[in-house]
Amino acid sequence: MDRIYIEYDNARITKGDGILLNVEIYGGETFLNLEARRLFPITGLDRYITLLDEDGNEKAVIRDINNLMEDSKQAVLNAVNEYYLVPKITKILECYEKFGLMKMSVETDRGMYFFDIKSRYSDVKPLFDGRVLLKDASDNRYEIPDIRKLDKKSRKLFNSYL
Amino acid sequence: MIFENTLTNLPIPKEFKEKAEKLIPPGEKVLFALLGDLNLHGHYGASMIAVTRGSVYAFDEFHKGGALNLSIGYIEEAKVKRMYGNAVIRLKLESGEQLNLIRFTYSVSALADAAAAFFENVAGGGEPEKELEMVAGAYEKMRLVCPKCGRKLSRAGSACINCTSKGKLAKKLGAYIMPEKKTLFFCIALSLITTAMALVPPYATKMLVDDIIPNKNIKMLLTVIIALAAAHGIQHSVGAVRGHHLRIIGDRTVARLRNDIYAKAQYLPMSFYDKVSTGSVISRVSGDTNNLQAFMLRVSQDAVVQFFQMVGIIVIMVAMEWRLTLLSLIPVPIVVAVARFFGKRISPIYRRIWRRWASVSSILSDTLPGVRVIKSFTSEQRAIKKFEDYNAEWLKEDVKASKIANIFPHTVTFFVTCGSLLIWGVGGSWAIGEINGITVGLLVAFLSYASKFYEPVNFFANLNDSYQSALTSAERILDIIDAEPEQNKEDAIEVGRLKGKIEFKNVNFSFDKTKKTLTDINITIEPGEIIGIVGTTGSGKSTLINLLMRYYDNYEGDISVDDINIKDIDLQSFREKIGYVQQEPMMFRDTIFRNIAYSNPKASVEEVIHAADVANAHAFIAKIPDAYDTMLGERGVGLSGGERQRLSIARAVLKNPSMLIFDEATAAVDSETEHLIQEAIERLISGRTTLMIAHRLSTLRKANRILVVDKGEVIEFGSHDELMALKGKYHKLIEIQSMSLTIDNSQ
Repeated sequence: MDRIYIEYDNARITKGDGILLNVEIYGGETFLNLEARRLFPITGLDRYITLLDEDGNEKAVIRDINNLMEDSKQAVLNAVNEYYLVPKITKILECYEKFGLMKMSVETDRGMYFFDIKSRYSDVKPLFDGRVLLKDASDNRYEIPDIRKLDKKSRKLFNSYL
Repeated sequence: MIFENTLTNLPIPKEFKEKAEKLIPPGEKVLFALLGDLNLHGHYGASMIAVTRGSVYAFDEFHKGGALNLSIGYIEEAKVKRMYGNAVIRLKLESGEQLNLIRFTYSVSALADAAAAFFENVAGGGEPEKELEMVAGAYEKMRLVCPKCGRKLSRAGSACINCTSKGKLAKKLGAYIMPEKKTLFFCIALSLITTAMALVPPYATKMLVDDIIPNKNIKMLLTVIIALAAAHGIQHSVGAVRGHHLRIIGDRTVARLRNDIYAKAQYLPMSFYDKVSTGSVISRVSGDTNNLQAFMLRVSQDAVVQFFQMVGIIVIMVAMEWRLTLLSLIPVPIVVAVARFFGKRISPIYRRIWRRWASVSSILSDTLPGVRVIKSFTSEQRAIKKFEDYNAEWLKEDVKASKIANIFPHTVTFFVTCGSLLIWGVGGSWAIGEINGITVGLLVAFLSYASKFYEPVNFFANLNDSYQSALTSAERILDIIDAEPEQNKEDAIEVGRLKGKIEFKNVNFSFDKTKKTLTDINITIEPGEIIGIVGTTGSGKSTLINLLMRYYDNYEGDISVDDINIKDIDLQSFREKIGYVQQEPMMFRDTIFRNIAYSNPKASVEEVIHAADVANAHAFIAKIPDAYDTMLGERGVGLSGGERQRLSIARAVLKNPSMLIFDEATAAVDSETEHLIQEAIERLISGRTTLMIAHRLSTLRKANRILVVDKGEVIEFGSHDELMALKGKYHKLIEIQSMSLTIDNSQ
């Protein structure tokens, strides 16, 4: 089955309803109100963005957001940034264990928040590039972009749980 | 008072309260309020919807003027749009306009679902007070969560299993030692004797050096030597008895712990195994308990003795010369400080070592059973490389730990030696100058006691190392022991034979709250009906069965059997009534006989043979040289897929269940075997409510009705003829399969 790959200027992408996108392919085909989803939400934020219609059927795949025309790029970036909420933790204010839960109070790029982690073994995933991915008890996601760049106090609070 | 008796998930902030009081007419009452935790632009912050009988008021800084007010009657559609890590309540108004009411994280999405349903139902003419009951139910469900630990309670208002039993790690592990307390006290008494005997020799040395040898008292010399021999004899013989008993205590305690972990692992819900690999659980049952056992033996055999020895020595040393005693205590704070310094550094390393080791074990348990696949893809080198990489990661951490673990005791020993040198220096000069009544014998005896005193100090300093390692293991073990087991109500109903009426009412389910796996399932199956379940891969067929089997309990809505909610039925008595034949039947490393009798261990030989006969398995079993005594390898190695499937049907026959579930039972076998299995199934299902998931629609020819599932929803439900007439999804599937059959036949 042929898949439509979007790259460079072979398509024009504009904002549709809410977080949805309208796509006009160079060949003339037009799709309205597609939802942009990352195919690699952890390992490749800007690459391989699938565009789904309201029934979840894939209409096209963007190879790399950065290679799109500027307007299209902005439209896609806005859409995925709205869809994906993965606050980036910039400072750890508290980190302790109570009643079998790991309790964290953090500063993020989205503001301050307090959450519980059920299992520090399966819900805290350090990656080789220094990133740490966290999942709280309600399935919300967080990311420490680079554990090595956190301030000393935050690292100290978090290190024994890593 | 617009907020009188208002249902709310969190206390309403003063700012919103004031705004609402200005906006909402005094006559209206807020039925429920939902506090969100994000603003509409996705930043953390408070937001709220306040809902009255006819209106909804949304408060968010990004609504014009900070608030939005609209009549519920204008709402055409209300839904919770789940995104990644966040969601919004999205409304479609009669005018066609679409808008987001509030935004929130998944923490409040269950309440938002109830709110959205309230809007749609009330807009559709529903009575607000009646619809509020459903919302109240959702809020009540949220209150089923322990306010302390956030885990779900077994039932409303009950004590949290997790919190009430949570105490200090030591207290929990202590409960495992308590049954041995009598032996433990006996051993402590024995250790008092051994400690006392260990303290005799230095004092005897003082007597020998200061009195007996200078006075040339041969008789006294012999007496002291005999006394010393006796002291050593008692010390070692009593020590051996004590060691034997303490080892038994350690072993029994760990055996109990291991049994508990294994038993707990059996009752953990499937959602636990979705997140934790079986390799990691195996490592906890074997590796962690061994680690803990080593620590327990170390503590129970040595720590008690060392403690008494330390106290005894201090008492004797103070009695002999208090000034020198104070000198010898100087290194103690340094040793303690060093122990604390290293302890903090080594603990995270041990945790990392454990994680790395769990990864290595996971590879072992995941790849070795799949060795056929590895060979078929000739990916041996890739498997070896992956194992080597993970092993290298473990090695890296272990080397780090080894560095710290070795620097630590040597640093301690160095400070301890400095303490001895201090006694030599000060005590020696006092002995030379005959100051404070110090004699050579007393100095030698004192040094001997001092060296013995550092033994326990050194021991306790080193104990930190194994304590940290054991602590990590204990935490891993308690992670399983404390995990929430499958919920079974205390007053659950034990059911006898079931008629087999199955009902799903408004069932919604999501594995991880990001995507609904089942949406609004409403079906009724009458007793004795044979229901075929069809749908594409990932449509939710197996999830439907998983919920009926109570592998997952965290769904919305109700599932009942014979008009009893399945959550009210005793789990064991419920599952006993269901025969479940899976696509890939699990066989154990045991004989064919025992594998069939697994479902009913009390079954007689003839009952097992009959079951095998019904399942069309007897004929092939009889032909195998060892017949029913044939020992199967791991996972049933030695039998073909079709043969294993027939054994699993025989198991189901022997169980004599009230209801039957076949999950693609004939998917992995050839046509001839399929015929044999189909024949066996037809014999088995007569008179029993049966659910059959099937890809090959031809296997559903006996089905009374067909349930078509697509994207988690039931889209068609009726007899074959009805669905064919409908010309919907089922018709399409039949057409596709007929087409492929035609192609097969023409080839």
